Parts: sequence; structure tokens; C-alpha cells
Amino acid sequence: MYALAIKDLVKRYPTGTEALKGVSLEIEEGEFYGLLGPNGAGKSTLIHCTTGLAQPTSGAIEVFGHDAIHHYGDARLAVGLAPQEPNLDWFLTLEESLDFHGGYFGMTRKDRRERAQELLETFSLSDKKDQRTRTLSGGMKRRLILARALMHRPKLLILDEPTAGVDVELRLELWHYVQRINAEGTTILLTTHYLEEAEQLCNKIGFINGGEIVATGTSADLAREYGVTNLEDAYLKLVGRGELSRAHIGSEA
Amino acid sequence: MSPAQIRFLTLVRREVNRFFKIKRQTVGAPLLETFLYISVFGAALGTRIDQLHGVDYVVFIIPGLIMMAWATNAFSNNSSSLLQQKFQRSIDDQLSSPASPVELLLAFSLGGFLRGGIVATLTFIASSILVGVPVEHVLVLIPALFLVGFFFSQLGVLVGLRAEQFDDVSFYQTFILQPLIFLGGVFYSATLLPEPFETLTQFNPVYYMIGLVRYGFIGYSETNIALSLLFLTVAAGILFTVNLRLFNRGYRLRA
Ligand SMILES: Nc1ncnc2c1ncn2[C@@H]1O[C@H](COP(=O)(O)OP(=O)(O)OP(=O)(O)O)[C@@H](O)[C@H]1O
Ligand SMILES: [Mg+2]
Repeated sequence: MYALAIKDLVKRYPTGTEALKGVSLEIEEGEFYGLLGPNGAGKSTLIHCTTGLAQPTSGAIEVFGHDAIHHYGDARLAVGLAPQEPNLDWFLTLEESLDFHGGYFGMTRKDRRERAQELLETFSLSDKKDQRTRTLSGGMKRRLILARALMHRPKLLILDEPTAGVDVELRLELWHYVQRINAEGTTILLTTHYLEEAEQLCNKIGFINGGEIVATGTSADLAREYGVTNLEDAYLKLVGRGELSRAHIGSEA
Repeated sequence: MSPAQIRFLTLVRREVNRFFKIKRQTVGAPLLETFLYISVFGAALGTRIDQLHGVDYVVFIIPGLIMMAWATNAFSNNSSSLLQQKFQRSIDDQLSSPASPVELLLAFSLGGFLRGGIVATLTFIASSILVGVPVEHVLVLIPALFLVGFFFSQLGVLVGLRAEQFDDVSFYQTFILQPLIFLGGVFYSATLLPEPFETLTQFNPVYYMIGLVRYGFIGYSETNIALSLLFLTVAAGILFTVNLRLFNRGYRLRA
């Protein structure tokens, strides 16, 4: 059984943009999957279709064998989403944000308390738990969003550019953390524009461009497929900008 | 409690939490407003107007004030809460949870319904202490107030769902809701109006709601009670159905 199985997914927005043009993708249980592609490739759209925030035009999505489009109850329970744009409610405190989230996923009060406390500690937010979320810095918001995604102990964690705009320490902290929970069995789908991040963390990578998955494999597979030596060069080939390769930097001078 | 019950209660708790946090604005302000109405219209004007259909003028207007409190609070709570959460996109947290559209709709509706209920109850208590309010037909009064609250909760959800900016919400409130409520006869009996206003009033749905509530409190009515109740039930049912369809479609919630 796949953690995530997407088949022929098409998403056409009301504006007419066809953001996904028949995407099929499979993520094995326990995998750390990196979805890479340029701005506007359709990464967030794919994630939104999986989590109910966008309505697919056609195709099928299953999370651990549960339909995620029509009978989404079990599928949604299994997914934790940390969205690209922080979407915290400014008027809630940190603790309330986690507590309500846990409630939406049916956790008991006792469980919510303990889990929230544990996560606030993990992400060094305990001393701010009674503050409203709008008082947080950008990096703290990122951490809280990650904590919220993890609140209900999802089996599939989806991280949409979790490290955009965070400092070096936090980035490394996040890497350690997600690697640990991946090792403990959580399947992870990650999008990022930092290729070394994907190279470090992911054991499988998918390239998406113009709403289509154009290649999948390990980062070594992809480099081989594009006839280059690393993931970044493979990516540059994909987007048709091979001339930007760092291998050329300095050689023109 | 089952996970589904916890989920629904949390969705409602979230809405209640919101208005309790700003209770000065959501509960305090409406109470003060009502108190001012009672003082100005009741105490000051009332000494001149004396009696209307057998009751003191101030007692005549209190049922309308109580209804107005429930209606406007239900409406403005739901429209602002929904818009605010859409605006912050924090609503995505609920939308990506296992909650179904009908659960979401009911939870958003209940927020304003409960806030309106609280303000209306406090208004009732305060005016009972200040001037004394009779309750003649409790079996009409309770369903009538619940229906009015439910109707305006649904209207608030509808407007909040459609709204794209805060201006949209205050537009409805200022230019549609307030006039309808004021012209519905909160402060006067429509029989006192000259033509064509007396006839025009008959096309204002709020007129019938006030009729029901006033009948429940003081036993006086210009409108047909059974027909008004029926009509209000149907109208609330239609609004709820419309909202449910919009929630099912993900209208302005899910891309
Ligand atoms: N709500 C929307 N309405 C209309 N078009 C949209 C909407 N959201 C995204 N799009 C369009 O769909 C396409 C894919 O966007 P998407 O956000 O999925 O890209 P992405 O791969 O996540 O990009 P980025 O790396 O910049 O986050 C883009 O052309 C975008 O303009
Ligand atoms: Mg994106």
C-alpha cells in the first residue's frame, strides 16, 4: 500500500489555468519524497488537492488506501499539512492553535494538552504558549505551523517549503527533526527550492514542471538521467537553463 | 465522546472563543446600545407617547430590541468571523480536517446564534430589571426567537462567504440590515404610519419577525402569527439549504 497514490490528477482553476495536467505519483510508506520544480510548476496545487484545499478537476488520490477526494475522513486524519504560507489565526494563542487543531482531528482533551506541551517544547515555543500568534517572528510562525501539522500524529507529513525564510540554525534543527520522525516511520512529502536540502533528506525525488511529473528517482538516478553529476545540474537541465550550472562559474572569466 | 463529537464541539468552541475574547465589542457594546435605546426612546420619548396598544411605549419597543440584538449579533458575528478566517487563510486548518461541509456550516452558524442568544438574554434581563417585561406566549416566543436567530446566522454566513473585503460585510449591515430592522417596526406600530409606508412595511420580512416576538412578549400583534411562523421557518430553511450547497461546492473556500 502506498502512503500517497495519485492517478491522472488534473486541476484546472476557475481562471482557466491548468495547474496539473494528469499527474500520477506514488509515495511508498516510510519514504522521504522531495517534489521539486520551478515556481508555478503545480507543487502546492498537488498538495492542496490532496488535503481538500483545492478541488481536483479529475483523477484519483488515495492516502494509505483511503480516498482523499470523496470519502476523505480517514485520508485527512492520516495527513498533516504545513502550508507554504503561514496561515495562523492572529487572535489565537499558540496553545489554542494547537489545541483546536487537535480537536478538529478528534483528539481527547488530555491527549491534546500533553501533545501540545510536548510539541511546544520540541520547537522551543513553550515560553510563548499564551501569546497570540501574531506576536511571533516569521521563523517562530514556521515552527508553530510545523508543530500544528504534527499535532494529530499524522502518518503522512506534507511540508510545503518549510524552510523558506528561516535562519541556518532553525533549518538544521528542522532537518534533524524531520529526519528523526521519518526514521520513526512517518512518510514525508517535501517541496523545496533548496536542492541541497532535497539531496540531504529525500530518498526519492520527483521533478514537476508545467503541471507534469517529468522524472522521478533518487538524486543519483536523476543526475544520470540528465547526463550530469548532481541534482542541481539535473534541475537546471529540466528547466532548460543548463548554462547556469555552477560548473561554469569562473570558467568564462 | 466520539472523535466526531469532539471535532464538532471544537469547531463550535473555536467560534465561541472568538467572540468571548473580544467580549467588550461583541457583548458589551450591543448591551450598551440597547440600554441607550431604552433610555432615549423609552424614558425620554415614552413620557410623551404614553401607551401604545395597551402597554407603555417603552415596553412596546423592548421585544423589538431583544429581537434586534439577536438578529444583528448573529449576523455580524458570522459574517466577520468567516471573512476574517478566510482572509487570514486560517480557515484552511478546519477545511483540511476531517470535518464535513455540513459540520462546518453548523459550527459557523452556531457561533453567531449563541452570541445573539447571549446578548438577547442579557438584554431581556436588564430590561426586566429596568422596566419589567411581560412574557405572554412563551410557546410562540421561544421558537420565534430561535428562528430569527437561525435565519440571521445563516444570512451572516452567506454574506461572510461571499465577502472579499471588510467593506462588503459592513455594506450589508449598514445599507440593508439596519434599514430593514428599523423600518420593520421596532420603535413604532406600523398602523401609525401614513400610506404608502404602512403598505410598504408589509413587504418587509422583519416586520413579521417583530410581530411574532412582540406577540410572544406582550400578546399584541398586527400580523398573522401562524402564517408568520410558517413563513419564517420556510425562509430559514431555504437560506440553510443555499448555504449548505455552497459549502458542499466549496464556494470561495476551496480553490
Ligand atoms: N487559487 C488559484 N487560482 C488560480 N490559479 C492558481 C491558484 N493557485 C495557483 N494557481 C496557478 O496554478 C499554477 C501552479 O501554482 P502552484 O501554486 O501550484 O505552484 P508551485 O509549484 O507551488 O509554485 P511555488 O514554487 O511558487 O510555490 C500557477 O500558474 C498558479 O498561478
Ligand atoms: Mg507552492
